[in-house]
Amino acid sequence: MMLSFFDQFLSPTFLGIPLIALALTLPWVLFPKPTTKWLNNRTVTLQSWFINRFTQQLLLPLNLSGHKWAALFASLMVFLLSLNMLGLLPYTFTPTTQLSLNMGLAVPLWLATVIIGMRTQPTVALGHLLPEGTPTPLIPVLIIIETISLFIRPLALGVRLTANLTAGHLLIQLIATAAFVLAPMMPTVAILTATVLFLLTLLEVAVAMIQAYVFVLLLSLYLQENV
Amino acid sequence: MIEKQTRFNQSVYDCLFLVAANALKGSSPLGAGLVQASRSLHTTSQSLAPVPSLPEKGGKVRHGIFPEEIFQLLYPKTGVTGPYMLGTGLLLYMLSKEIYVINHETIAALSIGTVIVYGVKKFGPDVAAFADKLNQDKVAKAQEVKDLAMTSLSQAIEEEKKEQWRAEGRSLLFDAKKNNVAMLLETNYRERLHMVTHEVKRRLDYQVALQDLNRRMEQEHMVNWVEKSVVGSITPQQEKESIAKCISDLKALAKSTQAMA
Repeated sequence: MMLSFFDQFLSPTFLGIPLIALALTLPWVLFPKPTTKWLNNRTVTLQSWFINRFTQQLLLPLNLSGHKWAALFASLMVFLLSLNMLGLLPYTFTPTTQLSLNMGLAVPLWLATVIIGMRTQPTVALGHLLPEGTPTPLIPVLIIIETISLFIRPLALGVRLTANLTAGHLLIQLIATAAFVLAPMMPTVAILTATVLFLLTLLEVAVAMIQAYVFVLLLSLYLQENV
Repeated sequence: MIEKQTRFNQSVYDCLFLVAANALKGSSPLGAGLVQASRSLHTTSQSLAPVPSLPEKGGKVRHGIFPEEIFQLLYPKTGVTGPYMLGTGLLLYMLSKEIYVINHETIAALSIGTVIVYGVKKFGPDVAAFADKLNQDKVAKAQEVKDLAMTSLSQAIEEEKKEQWRAEGRSLLFDAKKNNVAMLLETNYRERLHMVTHEVKRRLDYQVALQDLNRRMEQEHMVNWVEKSVVGSITPQQEKESIAKCISDLKALAKSTQAMA
């Protein structure tokens, strides 16, 4: 089975059946339904604790009307985190490396925050386009710049996640290939490469968690501005 | 702040739980049907209570992923090393027949495998202890409430017993009070009696004094009148006569004394 470097980024199909739905819903299996029991087993306890703490921390700076987004943020975080972490296993497909998925998550959510801001408090939402304390001659230029920055946000959100994960996976593959090819020829160099690979894997684990967190954090910040 | 957070935690938890629980049922018009779709596969009749309790800990595994049941299954036929031989044989078979091809993903798999094993070995016990501590804290809180309730109830029992003992002594108290009151009444009565006699005696003394005064004044008046009348009745003739008599008496006395001497 010859693997090229593109195979891990192809949307998986099996005998013509697209498996993307399976890839997207697999993380659901890893999070058992919270029981009605008072004391749960370790898995459920830890997951509930994590979700509770995370949501509490994330919603701390939001005012009350932003708390409606609690379930969305928590589930998005858990979803992205599990997809990213599962993607680090070999021979797995990571849906978050696909720009389509990330833009599909980023654009509607960002647009929702903008529309909420424009509908409920249009003056305040438009006021964000001009930072406080700008000198008067700069105002027109700054408005244009801020508008561009506003519209770049969904793009940045989606592309950030895609690029980070794709780059990470690609790097792992490249360095693993280097180690694999060098192993019969120059074992010492191969061992060095393997060490680099180990460190890179550690980094990728961190990046997987951080990127998911950054995605949700930025969305909460956009919501904070507009709600 | 802490109550707000725990209430918030609880509400989020409940919200997520409800979302998870009702996701299937409420997700689509056919949602209710999806739950019933597998009903034909049920072997036993549905019974909601009493629910058998779920095991507290997960099944035993060896080397992190292989359930202990496999080892027990193979033990009668192949002994202790049976499953290991099976694993090694399978692996070598897949490698030699190139069913599994070693490529760069293998190296990547080794790398991530090292990271996972290292992470689990290093942080596993701590995380498990943390999860256990979360549950223990929950139990401890409930236990504290229970203990507090028990101590307060036993304290209430003690106080109730004390009150009952106090109630028994109340009859003694009543007797003492009755005695007190009786004594007070007696004292009061005696005082008033004394006062009455004193007043009566005063009035009688007054009358007696009045009578005495009357008599004395009469006496004095009478004596004065008698003296006055006697003094007034003494005429000058009588006065001379009495004086001459006195002188002659005196002379006679003087003669007799001279004679005696």
